Amino acid sequence: MPLIETKNLWKTYQMGTEEVHALRGVSITIEKGEYVAIMGPSGSGKSTLMNLIGCLDTPSQGEYFLNSRKVSQMNDDELANIRNREIGFVFQTFNLLPRATALHNVELPLIYNGSSAQTRREKALHALDRVDLGDRVTHKPSELSGGQRQRVAMARALVNDPSLLLADEPTGNLDSKTSIEIMKLLDALHHQGNTIIIVTHEKDIAQHAHRVLSILDGQIAEDIIVPDHQRNGVH
Amino acid sequence: MVIGSLFRIAVSALRAHRLRSGLTLLGIIIGVTSVMTIISALEGMAGAIEDDLSRLGPSTFIVQRIAIITSEEMYWEKIKRKPINFDAVELIEKSCDLCEKISPRAFQSSRIKYGDQSLRDIFVLGATYNYVDIVDFEVAQGRFQSYEDDLYRRPVVFIGDMIRETFFEGLDPIGKEIKVGANRYTVIGVAKKRGSMFGHSQDDFVIIPLSVFSKQFGFPRRGLSLVIKAKSVDVLDDAMDQVRMVLRAQRHVPFDAPDDFDIVTADSILDLLNSLTKIFRMGLVGISSISVVVGGIVVMNIMMVSVTERTREIGIRKSVGARRRHILTQFLFEALALTLSGGLVGIFLGYVIAEALVGMIDMQITPSALAIIAGLSISTGTGLIFGIYPALKAARMDPIKALSYE
Repeated sequence: MPLIETKNLWKTYQMGTEEVHALRGVSITIEKGEYVAIMGPSGSGKSTLMNLIGCLDTPSQGEYFLNSRKVSQMNDDELANIRNREIGFVFQTFNLLPRATALHNVELPLIYNGSSAQTRREKALHALDRVDLGDRVTHKPSELSGGQRQRVAMARALVNDPSLLLADEPTGNLDSKTSIEIMKLLDALHHQGNTIIIVTHEKDIAQHAHRVLSILDGQIAEDIIVPDHQRNGVH
Repeated sequence: MVIGSLFRIAVSALRAHRLRSGLTLLGIIIGVTSVMTIISALEGMAGAIEDDLSRLGPSTFIVQRIAIITSEEMYWEKIKRKPINFDAVELIEKSCDLCEKISPRAFQSSRIKYGDQSLRDIFVLGATYNYVDIVDFEVAQGRFQSYEDDLYRRPVVFIGDMIRETFFEGLDPIGKEIKVGANRYTVIGVAKKRGSMFGHSQDDFVIIPLSVFSKQFGFPRRGLSLVIKAKSVDVLDDAMDQVRMVLRAQRHVPFDAPDDFDIVTADSILDLLNSLTKIFRMGLVGISSISVVVGGIVVMNIMMVSVTERTREIGIRKSVGARRRHILTQFLFEALALTLSGGLVGIFLGYVIAEALVGMIDMQITPSALAIIAGLSISTGTGLIFGIYPALKAARMDPIKALSYE
């Protein structure tokens, strides 16, 4: 039973009188425990695909099953629930709440599923430990470096034990040294059994994954398994 | 659990913009304060009038040639009426079996003197011995006139507290002689202080036996005023009807003509007063409510700014699983926290200001439940009405657009 199964996904936007097809029939299957990169130039539709996979949006046509649940026709609140429990996002721009401490930022997903204050704190501290930020819990984002901010975001993504970690250009705003550090962390998380999807346009980054999906003009152009010896990162 | 967290988020957002929240609060405070001041002051006045009228008691009514005038035409119409005379009192005593007590009285304004001190325009009331049983006032010192005082036309006087204070401060007034008009009277009792209303003392009166009053001042031109106590509250209306029948017969009022005398109860006076001042009171509350609306618009404006400013925050919250109602509640709580805290301050300030205002006209007010409930519901209502649109706007945001908002 695959974790992700999409059948002929279409996404069409109305731009004035013109219809723009961002996705033109994407069918992919991703198993639990996979480490997948979605690659493509800007305008290829990779962000649209990520939004659909991340349940931030619904397709115009086609079906999407996440953990065998049909999410393609869910309403806003049901999608919110799926995002809360099944998906952890890591964004290029970190997307942390600027006035909240690292701990509070990591607690955020737990607030919306009604966890008690004590559970929230315990889980958030544990997640911050997993990204080696146990000593920065009371710092606000402005008091942290770019790499540390991204690690807070990763802790937030992990805190609810999601089925899927979805990273959208996770190193896009980081220097190369910090990028390596973040990619190492993602590799380690995969090693611990997490399913990870990275959206990127950098070949270096994509080569950390075991499988690379290339997307062009709203369609899957290539689906390649990366041989071990070609992969970047530690194993 | 979620609600508590959402409330804390709302409060901390307000704290993050102290000046802005404070200024927004000011609008609501001013609005609620003005409404509260008006309501409290109106309530205070109504309460004072009600207290005063309740001296009559619930089963008592007053029959007079003219008791109520609400227009000039009414005045010219009623001024033609015949006075109520002693025959009427006798007839009512005979024919009204539901009447327990009847006390005729007459008024006159006169000068009174003690030694070389004098007071002008004192309210001189000629009344019978049972007046004290019908009208609820207390004897502080000495006694009220007796049946015999009236029967034998004894020159005795019962005085209001203001007279005692002026003439007899530090002295025992009982047995002293004062002059009412040209005649001498012996003081037999003092009434308990009633205080003042709308800046007028209610203790500047003297009461003498009606027989003595008639002898000195002649039969009153305006006729007698009858204070009548029915046997019980239940038969009040029937007793009033009996009196009406007797008087109409005695005064030869044609069957299809209206009464040529007025019958009032404490309730009817209060009703009349309320209905006469209703539009005025509603107008005052209405005008002061405008400022609440203005305050509400300020809240709405600030909430719109806040929602736009925090578009990205909304996107982040949605991406980690906040549902529409979570976002809605968070922003609604913000608006409510603003208006409710403004409302609480407004209720307090409104009460303080009303107290000061009403204090100037010698009345006291107590914080009424009505005013507090009104204040709380006005501020909650304002928060809900003006907060719902910005909150809905936030809740309906598309997470993808919100996340990419710069």
